[in-house]
Amino acid sequence: MSTAATNNTYWEQVRHGDKQALFALYNNTYPHLLRFGLKLCGNDELVKDCITQLFLQLWGRWQQLKPVTNVQAYLFTALKRHLIDQLAYQARTHTAVSNWSENEENELSYEEIIIRVQQDEEVRARLHRAMKSLTPRQTELIRLKFFEGLTYEQIADRTSQTVKTAYNTIYDAVKTLRRLLK
Amino acid sequence: MDFRDYQAIDFACDESFQRYCVEDNDADISFWEGWIQQHPGKAAETAEARRLVELLTARQGGRLEQLLHLKSGLDHYDLLQALTAEPVAGLSTPEPLTLPSPAPRFGPILRYAAAAALLLAVTTGILLTRSSRQPQQQMAAAISAGNEPRKTVVLPDGSSIILRQHSEVALAPGFNTTNRELTLTGEAFFDVAPGARHPFIVHTTLADITVLGTVFNINACTEMSGIEASLFKGKVEVAWKNNRQKKILLLPNQKIVINGNGQTTAGTDYKVIPLDADPVNHKAKEINWVRNRLEIENEPLADIAARLQQWYGIRIAFADEEVKQYRYSGTFESETIIKALDALQLSYPFSFRMAGDSIIISR
Repeated sequence: MSTAATNNTYWEQVRHGDKQALFALYNNTYPHLLRFGLKLCGNDELVKDCITQLFLQLWGRWQQLKPVTNVQAYLFTALKRHLIDQLAYQARTHTAVSNWSENEENELSYEEIIIRVQQDEEVRARLHRAMKSLTPRQTELIRLKFFEGLTYEQIADRTSQTVKTAYNTIYDAVKTLRRLLK
Repeated sequence: MDFRDYQAIDFACDESFQRYCVEDNDADISFWEGWIQQHPGKAAETAEARRLVELLTARQGGRLEQLLHLKSGLDHYDLLQALTAEPVAGLSTPEPLTLPSPAPRFGPILRYAAAAALLLAVTTGILLTRSSRQPQQQMAAAISAGNEPRKTVVLPDGSSIILRQHSEVALAPGFNTTNRELTLTGEAFFDVAPGARHPFIVHTTLADITVLGTVFNINACTEMSGIEASLFKGKVEVAWKNNRQKKILLLPNQKIVINGNGQTTAGTDYKVIPLDADPVNHKAKEINWVRNRLEIENEPLADIAARLQQWYGIRIAFADEEVKQYRYSGTFESETIIKALDALQLSYPFSFRMAGDSIIISR
């Protein structure tokens, strides 16, 4: 069964008051929701909180939930709404919120995300400098490996190179970063 | 290549290690937790690798901790629903109780701060001891471990207690309706459910211990006519029986020893000292008697349940034949049966509830 079909099954079970199905749906969609949220706001704690709130709310009104064709897309939209509410409430990032139109054109770049989730200014500055020293190719492979969570094999497929080359590129990039971050 | 030859970069580039860092896969988590523990000489390298992975993944992960936040949030929600829907059930009510989800005692150490305050869990544990026996007062219900090494009881408010051999608790009349007070004789581990309605109070010969909230444990070892209580996290208040004005607030990683025979050489009848941490696993020795390490390799739930039943001293029954055949792998370490079952549930879900003096597992 595909992931989408599995999510649909869980959704139907949640609509019938099955709490375990809610947890299963949570486990299945958590990494996707987290990545989606990070691209929007680059604040991992806020995103994690909003994911929890989103599922709590689903459970709070399971009797009113409607059938949904694309569960993941539904959850993405709901999460985005939670994030907007939270950010608007905090009134910290007015510009970020107003920049979010209905299309997802304004995603943060990988570098922006990993820098934003760091709270320490010193770490941020060093990370910024370190990332600048990588080639665009290295940055892209690092993103696929660590942010998108692809395997070396998937990366090799996607970038038309051998697994060994992909591994070596990433290894060298991590080595450079490690040296510059020390 | 042998992992023992690995440097920080090698770990950081290892796919299994990456999955462990973002909690993507239970097998990887338990492998690396075990490996890191067995190779303290590599601690600096693995810690640095972990930092690198966390940096580059933009701190993804934390699924297990977040899941527990969600679970405890749901339990609060359900509890609230139940409280507003009907009057609270008394001790004699035969209906099954839903169990609140306790905080985890497993999983990797997570570096970021906890999530929203309203979702924060929510269990408290106390381990207390007393050597001399309390004269029996009028009590609504007494539960005794007898000769069993450990006996687990789940109280009507959702708190669970593990009694040590020959120990006993007596619940005050009206427990969970008008109060949450009980008297302890011997030694026990308490995992106290959150409950704003009534404070949870444990009476002993020398002192009363009041749970003030958040997450913590207290631990005590038997000593001649004294009590000893240790706290891991959160707050408890210790109030002397013979002097109501005398109160001590325990802080995390402290233990209090009260001497029943009067003053010590220092001029007081008590002392507050740090917990006795095991040098290997950093866990406090005070609760060694209750902690259970469960190593499971592709075993059916029926067999796991039999082992849990024996260790924790509570009957486990199945409402469903199919669940018995669910298979699990992994290493779990937990203080209570509820934590153990919660940990299992994370990798493949099932339900459990309390009915009378048994735990019933169903789909």
